[in-house]
Amino acid sequence: MPVSWRRTLQSNWFHVLVLLFLVMFPHLVGWITGDSPLGVGGRPRGQSVFWQLIFIELFIFAILAMSYNLMFGFTGVISFGHALFFGMGGYILGLVLEKTGAASEVGLAAGVIIGIVVCGVLGLIIGVVSLRLRGVYFAIFTLAVAEMFAIYIGRWPVTNAEDGFVLSNLPAFLNPARDRLTYYYLVLILMIFTFLFIRRLINSPTGSVLLAIRENESRAQSIGYNTLIFKLLSITLAGMIAAGAGMLQVILTKKVGPEILTVSFTVDPLLMTIIGGVGTFSGPVIGASVLHLSERIFNREFIIGSMSINIGQNWSLILGIAFILVVMVFPQGIVGTWAKWRAGKKTTLE
Amino acid sequence: MSDNILEVRGIHTFIGQFHILEGVNVSVPRSSITVLLGRNGAGKTTTLRSVLGLTPPRQGEVLFDGQAVNGKRPYTIAQMGIGYVPEHRAIFRDLSVRENLEIAERQKGDLERHIDFIFELFPDLKRLIHLSGGNLSGGQQQMLSIARALVPENRLLLIDEPSEGLAPVIIEQLMEAIRKLAAQTTVLLVEQNFIMASRLADQYTIIDDGQAVASGKMRDLVQDEALVQRYLGVA
Amino acid sequence: MQQQRSTLLMITALFLGLLVFSFLTTDDLGSFGITILSGLFQGMLLFLVASGLSIIFGLMDILNFAQGGFFMVGAYITFAVFHGETFAQLDPNLRFPLAILIATAAGGILGIILERGLLRPLYARPIFQLVLTFGVAIVIGEAIKAIWGTVAYSWSPLTSFGIHQASFSLFDQQFGLYRLFVIGVGLLLIVLIALLLQRTRIGIIIRAGVEDSEMVEALGINVRAVFTQVFMLGCAVATFGGAIAAPFLGASLGMGNAFLLAAISVVVLGGLGSYAGTAVGSLLVGLAIAVVAKFASRPEINQTVWSSITPMILLVLVLLARPSGLFGKER
Ligand SMILES: Nc1ncnc2c1ncn2[C@@H]1O[C@H](COP(=O)(O)OP(=O)(O)OP(=O)(O)O)[C@@H](O)[C@H]1O
Ligand SMILES: [Mg+2]
Repeated sequence: MPVSWRRTLQSNWFHVLVLLFLVMFPHLVGWITGDSPLGVGGRPRGQSVFWQLIFIELFIFAILAMSYNLMFGFTGVISFGHALFFGMGGYILGLVLEKTGAASEVGLAAGVIIGIVVCGVLGLIIGVVSLRLRGVYFAIFTLAVAEMFAIYIGRWPVTNAEDGFVLSNLPAFLNPARDRLTYYYLVLILMIFTFLFIRRLINSPTGSVLLAIRENESRAQSIGYNTLIFKLLSITLAGMIAAGAGMLQVILTKKVGPEILTVSFTVDPLLMTIIGGVGTFSGPVIGASVLHLSERIFNREFIIGSMSINIGQNWSLILGIAFILVVMVFPQGIVGTWAKWRAGKKTTLE
Repeated sequence: MSDNILEVRGIHTFIGQFHILEGVNVSVPRSSITVLLGRNGAGKTTTLRSVLGLTPPRQGEVLFDGQAVNGKRPYTIAQMGIGYVPEHRAIFRDLSVRENLEIAERQKGDLERHIDFIFELFPDLKRLIHLSGGNLSGGQQQMLSIARALVPENRLLLIDEPSEGLAPVIIEQLMEAIRKLAAQTTVLLVEQNFIMASRLADQYTIIDDGQAVASGKMRDLVQDEALVQRYLGVA
Repeated sequence: MQQQRSTLLMITALFLGLLVFSFLTTDDLGSFGITILSGLFQGMLLFLVASGLSIIFGLMDILNFAQGGFFMVGAYITFAVFHGETFAQLDPNLRFPLAILIATAAGGILGIILERGLLRPLYARPIFQLVLTFGVAIVIGEAIKAIWGTVAYSWSPLTSFGIHQASFSLFDQQFGLYRLFVIGVGLLLIVLIALLLQRTRIGIIIRAGVEDSEMVEALGINVRAVFTQVFMLGCAVATFGGAIAAPFLGASLGMGNAFLLAAISVVVLGGLGSYAGTAVGSLLVGLAIAVVAKFASRPEINQTVWSSITPMILLVLVLLARPSGLFGKER
């Protein structure tokens, strides 16, 4: 037992280090700036609380990107409609909490379960009807379905059309505005859980079939796998995880509105996955970190002497150009390029 | 200038990460018919495609008329005077027979110059000229596919399994046509049908598992039952 | 033959269905006529986006998600040139064609840059090409935002030109002459492109390339050069579409995506890579949008949302029922 523990630790030292850092992070910021992680003056203020928010957003993006990578990176299925699951997760949780009159704890539990199940079924249905289509057609199909929902729900009177509605019926322990530290740890745990789950899945026999499908679907078929079933599994799981991310998002912002269904929640995970490294475990997390942190750092006005440069205004443009550059120059992303570079160094050393 | 119009020297070709050709040598003397023999999946088609640069070889050399062509784009290689009659015919089904021929023109008037010769070889095509390629029978499609390679002035024809899936009568007709062709140009033929190959070809090269394993005069091969048995499984 | 007959029957049935539905749900002949004309107008604009999409896909296996962006670029540039300072002295009737010319040329040049610079290195990795055009679509939208801001521009009536102001009446309903002009231009382009494909050498090469571009190359034709030309043409035509739409639709950030999705549904409906399919599909989808919009504007429904999701519903239905489209071959 101890030996295997040591081995696990040895091969995962980097992850463990990152984990330790993330666990300590609110306290580190608190220690450096002197603002308590619990807030200042009995209110959720100060540097630590501020940075917790940024990292919670980052974790949510990481979960969303990991779910996208499960489909795109590990199964080779390209969808342009991932925002559908993210948004539907948020909407269903919101509807159950606010429109059924359920008590907040019951509503939360029911909303989470219903939301995840519905999104799983939605993924399954979309998969069943469209996965037999060739790659491009599948991408179009998902884009059309997602856009359909986005437009329709954006004008649906029940959810106040484009205005959306506020989440007020949340249980007391889940109030990121008051008690951000608890939520920070909750989302962190869920992100780690997602990471471990996907790694476990891909390293299992099921995962090797998914990888085989990515490499060459017709060959996987000819070996005798029913590839459709495995692709369905992939898209269903990805949909469920994305739904979870959407729920975390609406709890964080306490608001449900059509913006969570927009194509940007497809573009962002796609970008994060590609920048971090398609088909790698930590790629989506690293991509989410790079993108989200750089957005937080650069997405504002810079004043250099008498000149002011407003990067924030053109942030999405810069992001888009960066995305194109990555696709052209480092299609393997940060993790893939790093791994290649290290492998290259090793072979020249030997 | 060497006697051989085509010289393939030790080419290695990859498709994706698969190493398909592992050293293939073929020499094709002018004004003759050379046949590539070998089992299914041996790499005959890949050899032809490597010559044209459709699957560019990573190593080795392809000399056409003394000039190295490897590394060039397929269209430039073809323009040097190579006609390609691919496996499974690959005529354009949505184009009419005439358009199928017109598209192969490299200079204005190519078709006009050769149309009589083409109709002489394949009289059937004359009445089919306005039909669309997809409506032709298999044999007619094969004729069209060969005819297409005759439109421009080609010094070498690469013909891949012309007899595949055709009735004996048609095969006879095609053999006759190919023999007539060899009088004007040079042919590198892939043919599974050993009888047909032995009646047509002057030289042979046997490819097995991505390597050229034997070559020589066809009339010697017909005598060498052991060799035929070993690589081709026919006697 | 059998299949051709059933395709023809299906198309006739779809057109008739739309017409009858529209006839039954509009109150008078005038608004019926206007609905049909709006459908034709919409259909022609769709055709301009969809034709490039379809031919480019057929020839090079690239679904150019940036095609909607080009439409939008056309609208913005035309708007800017027409309303800008630079050519303010010019007579509006000259300024407008000039604006269209500048926009179309810009679209063509952008198309060349996109194909040569970005797509060409990726021919070995098709999935990344798809992702890339998706990215380019976003960059175009963001670049427009950076240059022109987020406000939607509408053509100011004060700076109009001759044909833009004129209108005619049909059973007591007014219909702008300009829209009729667009319909005419669209029909003209349908014919011109058809002639190009059927009668010219490059047309034959394009049609052959749609079937088997490798074989075309093996015949000694520089297919890559043809790719670039076709890509440029497709982008220019889409940009032109946005340009001639601008006096009526104005210029706004949403129009790119709206037209892209509608055009994709056209192309899938017609069969990716089939020119006849694209032409017929454009008219069908355009009509469907207009008919549904008219129907949904009735007081008892009063939901404009339906007309905007019509193309997606159509797209989803077609993909489910007949993914190869009306004229497509099984792929
Ligand atoms: N796209 C591909 N991916 C992987 N392997 C391939 C591919 N194309 C061909 N091969 C393999 O390359 C080998 C040689 O193929 P090739 O078509 O050259 O054979 P051939 O001698 O022409 O066979 P046949 O007589 O059946 O036509 C075969 O084993 C085939 O499986
Ligand atoms: Mg072969």
